[in-house]
Amino acid sequence: MTTHEKLVRRDFLKQLSAASAAALATKGTRAWANAEAVIHPRAKADSCILIWMAGGMAAPDTFDPKRYFPFKEGLEVERILSTFPAIDTAVDNIKITQGLEHIAQVMDRGTLIRSAVQPDLGHILHSRHQYHWHTGYVPPLTVAAPHIGAWMAKVLGPKNPVMPPFINIGQRLEGVGEKEELKAFTTGGFFGTEYGPMNLPYPKSAMQSVQPPKGMEPGRFGNRFEAYKKLIDANPNRDLMSDYQQQSMLRAMDNAYRLLNSKDKDAFNLGLEPAKSQAIYDTGRFGRGCLLARRLVESGARFVEVTTEYVPFVHWDTHEKGHETVARLKMEIDRPIAQLILDLEARGLLDRTLVVIASEFSRDMMIEGVPGSNAKDQSRARTDKLKEMKHYGLHRHFTGGTSVAMFGGGVKKGFLYGKTADERPLLAVENPVPVEDMHATIFTAMGISPKAAFEVEKRPFYATIDGTGKPVMDIFG
Amino acid sequence: MKMKNWFSYLIVLSLFALVKPTSLWAVDFVHEVMPIIKKHCAECHAGPKKKGGLAMNTRTEFLAGGENGKVVIPGNAGKSLFIELILSDDDTEYMPPKGPRVSPEEVTVLKKWINDGMDWEPGITLSEANWEPPLKPRTVTLPAARNGRTHPIDRLLDAGLVELKQPLPPRATDAAFLRRATLDVIGLLPSPEDLKAFIADTSKNKRETLIDQLLAKEVAYADHWLTTWNDLLRNDYTGTGFITGGRKQITSWLYIALRENKPYDQFVRELIAPTADSSGFIDGIKWRGEVNASQTRDIQFAQNVSQVFLGINMKCASCHDSFIDRWTLSEAYNLASIYAEKPLELNRCDKPTGVMATPKWIFPELGNVDPKAGKSERLQQLAGLMTHPENGRFTRTVVNRVWHRLMGRGIVHPVDAMHTQPWNEDLLDYLAVRFSDDRYDLKKYIRFVMTSQAYQSQTVILEKELGADYVYAGPVAKRMTAEQLIDAIWQVTETHPKKAEAKVDRAERSPVQEAKAPPGKMKALPINAKWIWHQGAVGRKSELRHKFTLDAAPAAARLMATCDNAFKMKLNGKIVAASTDWTKPVYIDLAAHLVKGKNHIEVAAEMFGGAAGFICQLQISDAKVIVTDKGWEARSPGGTWAAAKELHPHGNGPWKKVLDPNGTTTPAVIADSPPVRAALVKNDFLMRSLGRPHRDQVVTTRPAELTTLQAIDLSNGEIFGGYLSRGAKNLMGRNLSGGQLNDWLFQFALSRKPTDAEQKVMAQISGDGSNLLMVEDLLWLVFMQPEFQMIR
Repeated sequence: MTTHEKLVRRDFLKQLSAASAAALATKGTRAWANAEAVIHPRAKADSCILIWMAGGMAAPDTFDPKRYFPFKEGLEVERILSTFPAIDTAVDNIKITQGLEHIAQVMDRGTLIRSAVQPDLGHILHSRHQYHWHTGYVPPLTVAAPHIGAWMAKVLGPKNPVMPPFINIGQRLEGVGEKEELKAFTTGGFFGTEYGPMNLPYPKSAMQSVQPPKGMEPGRFGNRFEAYKKLIDANPNRDLMSDYQQQSMLRAMDNAYRLLNSKDKDAFNLGLEPAKSQAIYDTGRFGRGCLLARRLVESGARFVEVTTEYVPFVHWDTHEKGHETVARLKMEIDRPIAQLILDLEARGLLDRTLVVIASEFSRDMMIEGVPGSNAKDQSRARTDKLKEMKHYGLHRHFTGGTSVAMFGGGVKKGFLYGKTADERPLLAVENPVPVEDMHATIFTAMGISPKAAFEVEKRPFYATIDGTGKPVMDIFG
Repeated sequence: MKMKNWFSYLIVLSLFALVKPTSLWAVDFVHEVMPIIKKHCAECHAGPKKKGGLAMNTRTEFLAGGENGKVVIPGNAGKSLFIELILSDDDTEYMPPKGPRVSPEEVTVLKKWINDGMDWEPGITLSEANWEPPLKPRTVTLPAARNGRTHPIDRLLDAGLVELKQPLPPRATDAAFLRRATLDVIGLLPSPEDLKAFIADTSKNKRETLIDQLLAKEVAYADHWLTTWNDLLRNDYTGTGFITGGRKQITSWLYIALRENKPYDQFVRELIAPTADSSGFIDGIKWRGEVNASQTRDIQFAQNVSQVFLGINMKCASCHDSFIDRWTLSEAYNLASIYAEKPLELNRCDKPTGVMATPKWIFPELGNVDPKAGKSERLQQLAGLMTHPENGRFTRTVVNRVWHRLMGRGIVHPVDAMHTQPWNEDLLDYLAVRFSDDRYDLKKYIRFVMTSQAYQSQTVILEKELGADYVYAGPVAKRMTAEQLIDAIWQVTETHPKKAEAKVDRAERSPVQEAKAPPGKMKALPINAKWIWHQGAVGRKSELRHKFTLDAAPAAARLMATCDNAFKMKLNGKIVAASTDWTKPVYIDLAAHLVKGKNHIEVAAEMFGGAAGFICQLQISDAKVIVTDKGWEARSPGGTWAAAKELHPHGNGPWKKVLDPNGTTTPAVIADSPPVRAALVKNDFLMRSLGRPHRDQVVTTRPAELTTLQAIDLSNGEIFGGYLSRGAKNLMGRNLSGGQLNDWLFQFALSRKPTDAEQKVMAQISGDGSNLLMVEDLLWLVFMQPEFQMIR
């Protein structure tokens, strides 16, 4: 080896920094070479925030008001469609329900889809439907499907090179029921962990994930990394070790250090947000998550999911006491979501940020699954007539018509798409949008073809199942 | 309006369904063109065959044409001889000359493909797809040894290297070999003491001796290989399916099988035709609700059995006839039917076809199952066919998997694509035959590979990620698995968790076991022992002891002992017996541990609830019998020693006559279990982030590269940080100076001393070794070295 070659090697840590950003989007899994070339649509948005109402948000009690009856002992359950009255929004032909007054005021910034539909999987299991919604594929599968956030990380790469491209806020993956099922889709799947999520279950302590370890002051952290680089350069065996393998490891270390040492990591620190702003968002973990999402997107995050968190029978998963629970949840979500939209708008980011509010399915007072489904009734408050508040609420999982709201990212403003029936069954009767079309729509906004495919085990694996997802172009302006 | 209409899209991985809208029709090369060429042209124009000078393996070859010049013109099907000959009516020239004519539909596809410019997907060649893997074993004649390298593996590999004029890979240093071998066989680092001893050893065959010593460490071997087999057999302690009882562990069975080095053919027979302990593999995962037809337990069975044991991907064929290899939908369903309780109807892309499957094995050349037999009989038959001596695919698959683990790259790679051509067919076939000749002994095979010069060479330096153009030049360095990395860190920092999740017997067998007690020589004497405990409040634990003198070391000494509920007994400082079930007393021979003169028995007894008591009788000769009674001393832990309290004579109390004077002496001697290993605990955040998979699917390779998110976890993660800080405290206890600490750490972690240049860098961090935080940082620096995280 010549001196020159040696010198080049000695400097490689410096070179790594320049090369690392570009390397991320191209590494690993090969794109499937379609005979029909995949042409990615022109992106309408650069970032995406998915606001996930985990557990099944009941459309008739949120974004799709129907016939309402207040609680009254003896009232026949089958007459009730909504347990909240309708309220006006900033858009004439759109009404939503009481408790979402702040969101109502920003409805003129987005599109409301009322006709999302899900397949009937026989037995309603949140984790399977959530897996489906997050990956586009119904489990079980023979390969691990990537989360849609991983698709964005894979195809688009990070927007800001030091910012992890896929960040998941608010969902614990330990200590909650069905955690294994949650983990199964909260992953980069066969793309590998490089494209998997950075998980931040607690927004308040998000900072811990990107700062030097507890108790280590920045000076020490910096020294440690400096010594690390020197030690690598002093290693007598470095030429015996395969350069490719060594470099990929060092590149990862370098990327990590750059984030942990960059100014951008301030985005993770909610403490830096003005007190007034913190107060508006601080309705609980979810509200703080919305604030964190905004800060991350401002700093160049590509895909951020914020969830109310899935815990069996908690939050949106109302098997009893539905009305009371939803009333509380609305207090948690209404202001933060509306403020997120307003903040993004005020910062000039809304046009290039797609915000999606969605859930794995809706709920109904009477019907489990869809009419004719043989899904097991899972209500814990079965009754024909209301006797106590426990009975008042939408306690059954309904897959035939769900609301999804979208803001920014090129979607029409103040637009209503799709419709559910006025009488039970509240099925989507106009423009049904199955999961793959919903994904195709989101991917299209982000500049990813629904037919994009990568190779796994010599087969193509598509962004939407079999590449069949059709974007709902009507909602784009 | 019917809901179902909306859901008529194809669910789940019906990836090759040829449902294309005709208006937007574009030719799909892999799934439309390739099958036609394969069907009609491959016999004469693929692989080495070039009839008429025309080869069609690649686009370049196809464009080059044959003896009559060019045969295709991209963009112009009308002027392409290829199409002309296909359509020709002249029986002296039409193509193909034999077999069915190319159908009009197929011609349309080919024409359109040529007119569209003949897109040929990179990496796809006709010859590779066309290479049919042999089924039967093949005996290979070994090439002559070169340069005195006589090991069969070297003879086979060296021949290839010479042919390519490649240099032989240089021999790895002793230190590198020691580290690699130890990590490969038992998944642990060699200690600085191991390193010193191995380097100092001047014997000629010290490498072989080491390999044998490592393979003899049956607990550590099982702890390590459990990771590989858990991945392959989709076994885990937590995961999808467990909450609803839709899934079962096979941990205990698997651990014992590895520990006992169960012959691989028997191992597989017990998985395919299982007992209750090993049924978790073929039973797969049951999900609640309706699942896609290609994901029922029956189909999972077909997929998993063929992938794991034969390197066959039945996933494609579970939806439709495969496009990447020869397997068909009906073959997948027939295989699944062997397992199915009821007759199975074929579903194509999740749609019923009305055709029923027949229980059938996929290689009828070797025989078949009786479709009329019951399920368990069919499984027995399948187990026999799978492990049939003539099933070379079975042996090739496993020797290739293990080769990949040891040498860093499969002879067939990826290891699940056993239908693709190996880079050295002779080597693969030789190993497979040798493996079956060696009675499917996995350890023997591992030893065989490791004793080759090839294994003992330096790893190759890679300039880029290995690809299809791989040429063997020596072993490839491997990234440690999450479990290896965590085990290594636990070793250095002594931060092992206290409890394992896996319920397995990891006690090291003591030498007594090998000493083979002379059974039946001793007379059955009546039991005079009493149940004892300490005086006063019973508590949960009791410590008991007894000293006695012998005139001579006995030839035999029979111990009978039990405790409600558990005990551990030390004799002269060594643990010799233990039990956790009072109904199963231990009967063992202790002669090897007894000495002339003073002897000392110490017992740690524990009660889990209810009655408490310990009893034992040690028969040294017909005259000399040691029994538990008030002559023993006892105390509650930490209390004062006093005479033991006699609770009941044997036969009385709640335990009845639990000791049997005629009980057979077994050598079940139990010692302490070694520290808990990473493969035995639940997956955690750190291990998951380092690539330990969620075992919903069969996993056969781990990610080879460290990712940024993993690096973040290693830079500031809580679990990892905890190991560092606890480790630093433990290390401080060694009272080493800064320089000594660096030396020790490097020798443990990297199996070498630091150079002066490294010492200098480290000295800035470690100081004099007395600052806790500095030692933490030192540990981090070493653990983050690629040299540490790689097995090279």
